[in-house]
Amino acid sequence: MKKDLVYLYDGSFEGLLTCIYEVYYRRDDPKQITSKEDLTFSLVEEYVHIDTEMDKFKKVYESIESKISREFLKTVFYLYLSEDKDSGIIVLNYIRTGYKYGKDAMNYQTNPYIRAANEIYRKVSLERHRFLGLLRFKMLENGILYAIIEPDHNIISILGGHFSQRMSNEYWIIHDVKRSIAVFYNKEQWIIKSFESIGNISFQENELSYQSLWKAYYKHIAIDNRKNIRQKKSYMPTRYWKHLVEEGVQKNGFNKTNLD
Amino acid sequence: MDVINKLQILADAAKYDVSCSSSGSSRSNKRGGLGNAQAAGICHSWSDDGRCISLLKILMSNYCIYDCAYCVNRLSNDLPRATFTPEEIVDITINFYKRNYIEGLFLSSAVVKSPNHTMEMFKKVVMDLREKENFNGYIHIKAIPGADKDLIDSVGKYVDRMSVNIELPTDEGLKMLAPDKNHNAILNPMKNIKNEIVRNKEEKKIFKNTPKYVPAGQTTQLIVGATRDSDYKIINLAEGLYKGYDLKRVYYSAFIPVSQNPLLPRYEKPPLIRENRLYQADWLLRFYGFEAGELLDEKNENFDLLLDPKCDWALRNIHHFPMEINKVDYNLLLRVPGIGVKSALRIVSSRRFGKVTFDDLKKMGVVLKRAKYFITCDGKYFGIKSMDSNQIKKNIIGMDESIYSKQLSMFELQGGVFNEKGSGLSL
Repeated sequence: MKKDLVYLYDGSFEGLLTCIYEVYYRRDDPKQITSKEDLTFSLVEEYVHIDTEMDKFKKVYESIESKISREFLKTVFYLYLSEDKDSGIIVLNYIRTGYKYGKDAMNYQTNPYIRAANEIYRKVSLERHRFLGLLRFKMLENGILYAIIEPDHNIISILGGHFSQRMSNEYWIIHDVKRSIAVFYNKEQWIIKSFESIGNISFQENELSYQSLWKAYYKHIAIDNRKNIRQKKSYMPTRYWKHLVEEGVQKNGFNKTNLD
Repeated sequence: MDVINKLQILADAAKYDVSCSSSGSSRSNKRGGLGNAQAAGICHSWSDDGRCISLLKILMSNYCIYDCAYCVNRLSNDLPRATFTPEEIVDITINFYKRNYIEGLFLSSAVVKSPNHTMEMFKKVVMDLREKENFNGYIHIKAIPGADKDLIDSVGKYVDRMSVNIELPTDEGLKMLAPDKNHNAILNPMKNIKNEIVRNKEEKKIFKNTPKYVPAGQTTQLIVGATRDSDYKIINLAEGLYKGYDLKRVYYSAFIPVSQNPLLPRYEKPPLIRENRLYQADWLLRFYGFEAGELLDEKNENFDLLLDPKCDWALRNIHHFPMEINKVDYNLLLRVPGIGVKSALRIVSSRRFGKVTFDDLKKMGVVLKRAKYFITCDGKYFGIKSMDSNQIKKNIIGMDESIYSKQLSMFELQGGVFNEKGSGLSL
């Protein structure tokens, strides 16, 4: 029996596009493209390790940009960020379809591969948009604004630009505690680094009073006669409440759940 | 009084204004400044009533010199009063903004001392925010009817959006419930703001550095159900405001009983379904190419509470249907119940690659349980045997029993609202 071919890469975007290069170069037809870390071993599969090579990555990157479109390339990146378990193979099918139909490929809504990709793109970009609003900074004693997030998808790299424009004159950190990475901004540029824990936190003296003001505002702005918790939850799913100042029981300026 | 008490009182006083949108302006941040505005708008939280919180929506003060019967802040109402100083408002706005709680400030106020005095205080707040604090986030300010034109104009230079609430759709309504106001006093500032926006746009073409004037445009709010004005009157007014005054949005707010005034109707619950129908109709006017006269007329003055306005229109004009999905152009696709702007665009762009099938439609986001009665796909029809509008109506309404019964109970509640005058709402 011929085994299913599985491509393994290092989990980076560069690695993923190197896989795409190799698929075309070797004329392979892998059934899965997956990050080494996510691998569950199976006897009916044959594994090929693909080493990330920057020039191969660049070739694929530039070719998608020029032969299909920049928007298409952005979707490929979002698919990668989704961390969907099938994202590798969805990317491959998406790119294959892209080369087939060229510049207009993204509009081919009835094509199953395009639609599958657009669906995931929509989820990632929705989550990004939600976090532009739901992210909460807290002012630390040293004047740095610090936010904790735990998004479903790996969106930290597509949040940084927004906040670097908006909060250009502040020092801030956005910390994805689920993936142990953070964006750091120093009033000039932002970088992403792996980051475990910030250690002992002390807030600026008036931080807690602004939190109380916000909670009071949040409570009083709701109209009782129109109470509609279901609608609220549909816009703001409860899994995102954990780090919201205005929801949940709090202790020392943090939600209780993340102290436990 | 503590700032927190003031905030509670003045948020309570502001919450009946429905607008909270932060969209329509793309103001960029300045060097060393704080904040910018995103054209699409950003919601930062959702309160227990399911409404989005985007802006810090507060009154500057709820000490009012007027006594409008529908308004919670009327002079004769016994409730706690408070006034923020401009410094307090600036401080809360900046600190909420830095913590990413809000997109900006939506400041309104009761009329304190005089319209001009109130407007002067607004001016102090917006000047401090923009010039002292270098704040470039979103600002929405209410223009106070009766304030001097020059004063309103000078505030307009600092803000993203300005609005004047009409509140009651007709002058008779105003006379009865808000004897201190009249429509001209409200419409005049709206006209001035519009003219100033037009003039500013022309000036910008010549002098690039001309500061923006109310870049996100102006809006207004109408209260639904405080007077006997019909839906037909309301959407005609809305259409006139969109066309004649170039308004960005008209908001509708179901009347919530905030007083026991005998002139006001008594509801068990606010007329939320009616409010929803008006929003649906408003969307049809703005994005779907409908005109008010197509949706309602003198004989049908109010929307069917059991059926959305587009379905209602389609059933009254059943001779236009079924439409062939693969042939009709975009403007007609928009008129099919169950097809929205996004799905219509998807259909049009996909048609270039090949025929769109019935299965494709579902995946494109078309609501087939409504659309199927009004379309054909490549000549095939998926609805019921005849194009009988009564039968289709029954099928559409009967589809979801729970929604039906829920709506019916609301519908019964609203009957008999104006019984003392004998006519009731013509449902």
